[in-house]
Amino acid sequence: MSCEGLNPMPQARNFRRSPDEVMRLARMGCSHPTRLSFLRQLLRRMDTEGWRFDRPVWEIDANGVGRAVYRAIGPVRTYSLVAFAHDLPPEARSDRVIATAWDATFALFDGTPTAADLDRLKANVPLQEAGRISARELSLSRANRSVRLFDHVVERLANGMQPDAAMLLETGYLMRTTAVYGSGKFGAADRAAIAQRPELSAPFQAEMLSVWLTRTFTVDLVEHLARARGGSRAVRLAPELKRGLGVGNSTGLGMAPFVIRHPVLLNNWMLAREEALARVRAQTGVGANELAGFCVALKEARENADLWTSAHDLQRAKLVDLREGLARIASHVAQDWDQAAPYPWDELWRWGQNSLPMEAQEALLAAMLEPHGALIDGLGDCMDADEDTYFPINGAIRVGELRTIVQAQYGWALGIDYTQPAQCARFWYVSEDKLEPRLGERHCEPGAERELPLDTARQAAAFWLALRDQPGDLPVAHLLLEAPEHRPAVRRVQIAARHPFAEIRDNLISADMLPIDILRCKLAFFGATRFDPRSVRWVRISLFQGAPYPDQMNGDVHEA
Amino acid sequence: MKHDPMTNAALELSLSEIAALSARATRGAGRNWGEAEEAAEATCWLARAGLNWAAALLEVLQHPDADGACALRTGIALADSASLSGIPLNAQHRIDSPCFLLPFIARIADQTGQRIKLTAADMQVVIAPGACPMITGPLHMSGPTLVTITSCQRNSPPCPDWPQAHRGAVLATEYARLTQLMMAFTVPTSANSQAGAGAQGDDND
Repeated sequence: MSCEGLNPMPQARNFRRSPDEVMRLARMGCSHPTRLSFLRQLLRRMDTEGWRFDRPVWEIDANGVGRAVYRAIGPVRTYSLVAFAHDLPPEARSDRVIATAWDATFALFDGTPTAADLDRLKANVPLQEAGRISARELSLSRANRSVRLFDHVVERLANGMQPDAAMLLETGYLMRTTAVYGSGKFGAADRAAIAQRPELSAPFQAEMLSVWLTRTFTVDLVEHLARARGGSRAVRLAPELKRGLGVGNSTGLGMAPFVIRHPVLLNNWMLAREEALARVRAQTGVGANELAGFCVALKEARENADLWTSAHDLQRAKLVDLREGLARIASHVAQDWDQAAPYPWDELWRWGQNSLPMEAQEALLAAMLEPHGALIDGLGDCMDADEDTYFPINGAIRVGELRTIVQAQYGWALGIDYTQPAQCARFWYVSEDKLEPRLGERHCEPGAERELPLDTARQAAAFWLALRDQPGDLPVAHLLLEAPEHRPAVRRVQIAARHPFAEIRDNLISADMLPIDILRCKLAFFGATRFDPRSVRWVRISLFQGAPYPDQMNGDVHEA
Repeated sequence: MKHDPMTNAALELSLSEIAALSARATRGAGRNWGEAEEAAEATCWLARAGLNWAAALLEVLQHPDADGACALRTGIALADSASLSGIPLNAQHRIDSPCFLLPFIARIADQTGQRIKLTAADMQVVIAPGACPMITGPLHMSGPTLVTITSCQRNSPPCPDWPQAHRGAVLATEYARLTQLMMAFTVPTSANSQAGAGAQGDDND
């Protein structure tokens, strides 16, 4: 839904960043999670509504094989994570989508599963893509152990000792998911079937709930194995160490096209975050609580940056920028920030824009949002999208109006020469083996004729050319009869006219496009931390590090 | 999705699976992306209405539209023009798969806020804005048929509510054919792409 007409702070509009600044891949690739991120929304709701949690099934043997069920019981509905633990030989352990076996597999069940449900799921969930789930399941996922750390933790706990804290911090998770499928994939319930439920209306809430409960399963599993191995000598994982563990995630190109194919949704995510920043910048003072909260957020961001490592050169350089930038922010806040200025947060933001690298600017954004929950949390309700509303093409719109829209929203795309090899170097396609999106090299790999329509900039430019010689009063319905190949571009242009943050304003088929920039933006909206690219096409991240566990949700909610 | 090719039992797909399969199969059949996106939207509408979306799509895709009888193209053109010239009242079209016109007629009903009646041989369908279609007579899935589109009396019986299910059935043979079409649009993953996606490493760290 669009909340434009309901905006309680219209004056914030004057403080919004422009899409030309925000929607560039270089900046999107510096995104940090904020309190509007989807996992944060989930935790807030569960805490506010007093959700209860239990584990009605734990049938795991001494070798760590079996099944378990975790329930999240909300005020109206119950959701259950059904977990299957497997005995996976090391040679079968791969965290890419091409794998066929995993240490653990999961489904998020809508309600409380019966024994028959569990048997049905046991026959399908471990197979993942080769199995079949039903409309009773909201997600399907799998995870592999972080072997070195997992074994170390079990060994230590079995011998009555706590694991090495440095090792835990270095890895940050006992297991990492390698795919979390929702929204109708492999037979699961469609998004449309659950989107009206308040607790699932924000994006990816079912998937986030699944991962959060998976985190508890990973800790329960190491403690169970330690007890099985060490008997009465075994101890449980210390709460402070446990809290620092998240769930890892490996993800790749498959999730990148999503944000391109869902322009209204992307707009709503970006617009909510930008509106939040604008509202903070529009404040005319700095409250004591807000200042304290900001300083805590800054301190935690610096601690996180110190622990954040990456093997990839691109990310290592960004981490240097981030650490130096955060240090400069802390220094500026302590010594030079004029909190008596008419718009003190805006002044701080403007200083950051002029003084900080992009990576630290976006970290500053996250820290500025952190203490302003009352001001911005309601924007979370604006981050879903009724995309069907925007599907029909308005055939009555005239060529002259379309020209104006294209110039305003796609000016960035019109000056590029797409015949230059570097500007059309890539093509997106669906892979034959996994039916997953992939990125090909146009000039040296076959298949470009089967390209996906993700070349948004080139399409806009071609449509611009098609408009050039047409009369201004020609309805687009008539134009499309003669030139139906422009239909996807017409739809995107019509959407962009009302959704200024709908398009990534870069050429997505150019030689220098980095898919990890798209991934980082999307994952930051999920709430992911420790972004660690393993190539320019896939990354590892962590979810829910520092977040409470189900048994800590009543009262003590220090958010992730 | 696995299925037994020796049987022709109905499989159940989610709407997102229907959309993905329909778009890719339509593209694989040689249609452009605009038509592929419209076909996906249309099959989801048919599935929600409990109609045989797969048979309707296959019927559309097996005709190259040499004579302007393609329901997909006709439907797109009619829907695009609705905001320009309203309901194409009393329009007659010779259509290969009349059933596939219904989602587009529904869109016109939504855009104009009016009930519309589509007649094709013995089949009569009334579609009200936002409502599930009310169908009388045998469904006309195939064969060139003269289709008439008219406005509908306000006092005609109310259209039924949409069923709650968000699924669609497909026969195994239809699924296999659509999958075959879809595969024509896929590309073998290159070694370079596999390596960049991390496929060469293991996960024992």
